[in-house]
Amino acid sequence: MSELVDRANRIAQTQRTLELLMEANRAILAELSPEAVLRRIVVAARELVGARYAALGVLAADGSLEQFIHDGFDGQHVCAVGDLPRGEGLLGVLVADPRPLRLERMSEHPLSTGTPPGHPAMESFLGVPIEVRGEVYGNLYLTERAAGGAFTDDDETTLLALAATAGIAIENARLYETARRRERWAEAAAEVSSSLLDPGLGGEPVGLIADTVLRLTSADVVSVVVPTGHATFRVLLARGRRAPELEDLEYDAKATIAGLALSTGRGVRVARLEEQPRFTVHVQRVLDVGAALALPLHGSLGSHGVLVVARERGRAPFDETDLELSESFAAQAAIALELAAARADQQRLAVLEDRERIARDLHDHVIQRLFASGLTLEGVAGSSEPATAARLGPVVDDLDLAIQQIRTLIFRLQTSGAARSVRSVVIEAAQEVAPVLGTEPDVTFEGPVDTVADPDLVDDVAAVAREALTNVVRHAGARHVRVSVTAGAGALAVVVADDGRGLGPDARRSGLRNLEERARRHGGGCTLVGLPGGGAELRWSVPL
Amino acid sequence: MRLFLLDDHEIVRRGFADLLGSVPDIEVVGEAATVAQALARIPACRPDVAVLDARLPDGSGIDVCREIRSRDPEVRCLILTSYDDDEALFAAVMAGASGYLLKQVRSSSLTEAIRAVAAGQSLLDPSVTGKLLERLRQPPQPDSRVSGLTEREREILDLIADGLSNREIGQRLFLAEKTVKNYVSSLLAKLNLQRRTQAAVLAAEIRRDRPTPV
Repeated sequence: MSELVDRANRIAQTQRTLELLMEANRAILAELSPEAVLRRIVVAARELVGARYAALGVLAADGSLEQFIHDGFDGQHVCAVGDLPRGEGLLGVLVADPRPLRLERMSEHPLSTGTPPGHPAMESFLGVPIEVRGEVYGNLYLTERAAGGAFTDDDETTLLALAATAGIAIENARLYETARRRERWAEAAAEVSSSLLDPGLGGEPVGLIADTVLRLTSADVVSVVVPTGHATFRVLLARGRRAPELEDLEYDAKATIAGLALSTGRGVRVARLEEQPRFTVHVQRVLDVGAALALPLHGSLGSHGVLVVARERGRAPFDETDLELSESFAAQAAIALELAAARADQQRLAVLEDRERIARDLHDHVIQRLFASGLTLEGVAGSSEPATAARLGPVVDDLDLAIQQIRTLIFRLQTSGAARSVRSVVIEAAQEVAPVLGTEPDVTFEGPVDTVADPDLVDDVAAVAREALTNVVRHAGARHVRVSVTAGAGALAVVVADDGRGLGPDARRSGLRNLEERARRHGGGCTLVGLPGGGAELRWSVPL
Repeated sequence: MRLFLLDDHEIVRRGFADLLGSVPDIEVVGEAATVAQALARIPACRPDVAVLDARLPDGSGIDVCREIRSRDPEVRCLILTSYDDDEALFAAVMAGASGYLLKQVRSSSLTEAIRAVAAGQSLLDPSVTGKLLERLRQPPQPDSRVSGLTEREREILDLIADGLSNREIGQRLFLAEKTVKNYVSSLLAKLNLQRRTQAAVLAAEIRRDRPTPV
């Protein structure tokens, strides 16, 4: 009878355990974040089997414990022990031989190293491995059976069942997490590409890339370094902690992870920099760096620089997925940078072509028409009464002036201003005073001014035009200024005429001395005269 | 005095006719709009002076001037241009013309200039012409922006600006594609540029700045 009751009790107990196991399975599988899954597993294991303490150790690639999640310890114990176990001693047995391990007394196992001071007393022990995709992911440990005594076969079966669920849940959570990360990186890559290629957005393309990497790798600092061509790198820009101190830093490229990334064209991952004495990271100058990544901005035209990503020492290292995703992001960003740059170049070429076309139109159509009209008017004037001819004269002069101005405009459209010539330096001087003057001075040229002036004379003409115009701006209170440069009759003359106050006090004279000196060096002279209708005219001329 | 006029703009030819209509001693004996027409008509018209536009759809007034004067040195030529004096002077000297006229009514009093040339005078200032010739005799100075490049690198930069690929440049210069690639990286580094297109833009700018012969 008692046997029957006992068996009925055991069946009821088993059913109860099964129900609890299914409930625990549901709860564990419902979680998506890896941290929450692991915590659920530990709590479920402890409650399900009935133990005082439970823990889950996650294996690192080298066999040590990367993570140790525990339940049942009070805060006092955790503080007293300090460091979490690293997988030596008894915990290491399961690591080396991943099979269920059941002990009545932990202290009697030959490999037991005992517990550190402050650790609660433990005797009964049950440990099972957790496998994910056929590989040992970690171990689940229970100690101090709640009902007393050693853990039973049933306990082991229950814990193994839970460990199987745990393996699936961990795998799911990992897949989910990786999928989320991929998604975030893919979104970021699309965002960066579209904003780099959107001419309206402008902004700093490389800065945008650095910001994105900083955010998605949850790094402390990201810097973009470029090779300088002298076996050194220069920090183009930096984002994150102490970033301003890194910007513009130039450093030796030898034995740096950026150098390695650039030469191989592949991303470099360093989990703990202190374990890689052969390599350095420039970020170490301002921050105690633990983990680092170096990602080449490698596009279709070669490398444009390297993204150096760093976390402070003590933080978790970057994992393989971090490297894989950030590396492919960097490659996409590099191509987007290339496209954006190529487009900017195309736009500049298009502007140059456009200017060329405008210059050609002005030449082919406008000048020809003005000139032809001038010829016709001159013809009419020649066969007219003197009174009519006298009235046509100024009109022809105006047409000629317009032609000269258009010619100057064509010159400006067709040059970028880098080559030094009489024309370019005088136009430049006129453009410089335009903002102060309110209008740009009219500039005209007559005669082969560039043929007659050697580089030395070009320098003097530049200085003369600049000083004369500055004087006008300072003293004359003029509204209109005309600059004409004439080469002919054996001389090169620069004439600057304004409609200002005319010759005032000595102030304007003093500025003249320098100009006179420059003229004298070429055997020429300089005069300043007041004009009858107000204003003044400076004439600087040198013989050729 | 017999005048021949070559200009591709009809309104300009009409303008000349209007102007010279009131000048009794100058007669327009023929006109042309292209190099081909001019070469066919000038010998038949036998003008004293030919006014030749420098740039024409099918060639240049410089070529016309050379050709005509080699056949009949008695025909005096004036180069007509709407560009600046430096270019006009260059064109006139190269063409062996007696002078040049800018398309500007008052600049050198057109009728005076034509009469003077018909009388056998040259309008070119010998000292200015001398300076030009002196400059032409000097080897052309490369633009300061590319002065650090070797001659070969400048040559390659020029071809990049023409839009040629490394392979095409190699074919043009009889170099291996890899050699061209090395030259390209070297010239980009010297010019402190990152991209080929930047080099093309630079070369385009330099071409624009270089005084182009007519």
